[in-house]
Amino acid sequence: MAGAALAVTGASRAFGGVYAVRDVDLHVAPGELRAVIGPNGAGKSTLFALIGGQLAPDAGSVELDGVRIDRLAAHRRSRLGVAVVFQAARIFHGLTALENVMVGAHSATRAGFVAGALRLPAHHRAEREIQARALECLALTGLADWACRPAEDLPLGQQRALQLARALCGEPRLLLLDEPASGLRAGEREHLAELLASLRRSGLTMLLVEHDVAFVMRLADQITVLDLGRVIAAGPPAEVRANPEVIAAYLGASA
Amino acid sequence: MKYLLLAVVVVTLALPPLLPEKQLAVYILLGLAATVTAGVSLLMGYAGQVSLGQAAFYAIGAYAAGLLSVHGVPSLIGLLLAPVIAAVAAVLLGAPLLRLRGHHLAFATLAVQLILLSLLGQGTWAGGAIGLQGIPRLSGLKDDIGYAYVVWAVLAIVLLISRNVVASRAGRALRAAATSETAAAASGVPVGGYRLAVFALSAAFAGLAGGVYAFYLGYLAPGSFPVLLSIEFVVMAVVGGLGTIAGPVVGAAVIVLLVQFLNELGTQPGMPSYAPSVLSYAVYALLLIVAVRYMPKGIVPTARRLASRSSRAAASPSAELLEERA
Repeated sequence: MAGAALAVTGASRAFGGVYAVRDVDLHVAPGELRAVIGPNGAGKSTLFALIGGQLAPDAGSVELDGVRIDRLAAHRRSRLGVAVVFQAARIFHGLTALENVMVGAHSATRAGFVAGALRLPAHHRAEREIQARALECLALTGLADWACRPAEDLPLGQQRALQLARALCGEPRLLLLDEPASGLRAGEREHLAELLASLRRSGLTMLLVEHDVAFVMRLADQITVLDLGRVIAAGPPAEVRANPEVIAAYLGASA
Repeated sequence: MKYLLLAVVVVTLALPPLLPEKQLAVYILLGLAATVTAGVSLLMGYAGQVSLGQAAFYAIGAYAAGLLSVHGVPSLIGLLLAPVIAAVAAVLLGAPLLRLRGHHLAFATLAVQLILLSLLGQGTWAGGAIGLQGIPRLSGLKDDIGYAYVVWAVLAIVLLISRNVVASRAGRALRAAATSETAAAASGVPVGGYRLAVFALSAAFAGLAGGVYAFYLGYLAPGSFPVLLSIEFVVMAVVGGLGTIAGPVVGAAVIVLLVQFLNELGTQPGMPSYAPSVLSYAVYALLLIVAVRYMPKGIVPTARRLASRSSRAAASPSAELLEERA
């Protein structure tokens, strides 16, 4: 799992004349765990969508290892190694947990309609391969016992873990996580932190959008702070924590 | 479950020689309806798309096979080309149409069928309103019992393909996209392309059924493919149960046999002349209301749930896969 470099340059996106993200630069080195924090409405989720491909920027560029991806559809970005964990538990209802995770490996395999319909060897090979990988990802996220249950039967915390398992099953080079810790119980949060730390050690590049500052302070290599759509600070956690502008933005938001 | 399938296979294979001529026609038309409905069910149940114009592809397959053979192309080649031509038509139509969602797509497919019917009615090359006549029978097939077995084989192939597609990587991606398009796309599923592929596959099923229909009847007219037929396919798919492989067969059997029964009833001596049409329309209404009220998921899923309430997880495809590996 060699991580990719992410470079967002001068990205802007407006909704009805109001900028949600304005002229944002964000450079993430391979293997880095970058957190993006900011108060509500700072533009974190918009920035996330610009990188993941759910939105296209009005201006600026997004590059993955020097390749521009900002005009590519989400499924093409996935093929290039971008995986996404959404804030809401966007799981596939009616599919088992195992199948949910197997869909995550869609980009990594090729067997198409014809191979599937005629049960060609390519189909069987791909199924075996994906299934083995999906079971590993389920085990990694603590969901092994849920494999054959319909995904919608999982408790909310497990549904969020399922999204992470699905994202990992595609063996991504850049993992985007939108507030993965929100709504988790303390124990689940601890498990998630451990998992992210171990993924970081394996060299995966990660972008963690998070509202909870305490959660990211101990995990992130670098932190970028957004406020009102702009970057107001960037640097190592200790430096960002001491930045007066950051303190003002957070106090201003909570007052 | 395996024994039930085996019993159905044995009974349906033994049936044709035992049926009187009139019932044999019902058997054949039922099989063709189930074939088309299998495509509708795939489209609605697994891709979350509604087509109210599936009879258009049935007609395209029928006319393609009919016209080719009338112009001297060997009938077997005509039959094989029928699904291909229907699928190509679906790709050409689907590329713009599938940008639409829900009701809009349903109405667009309905419009496609109306346009096609008026084209076939005007076009002298297709026999116009009088119809296309003199279509030869399939080479080597003289009697209707042979057609019954052709239909049986066609339906079996279509159901097998459906089953395989649903359980494959592509089918999993489709089922995923039907519940969360955003998450499926983010997982690398080209949602638009896949929907187009299923639309084409469902059209191919309808086209293949249409091809058999053309050779079986030897005569085609626009009037054989009314809009009501398209709606019938949707009703069969819903009543049988979307998202199941057996659903289309059960739905088609229930509707066709019921309509047949009501038709017999309506044409009994002493019945008024409007009785058959009133009865057949009324039965759709009643059946739909009953199905939606008491079995919103359709006959097959409801029966399955009643049969095995306890082993819910065991029925899922991935559990099957796990068993295969073990």
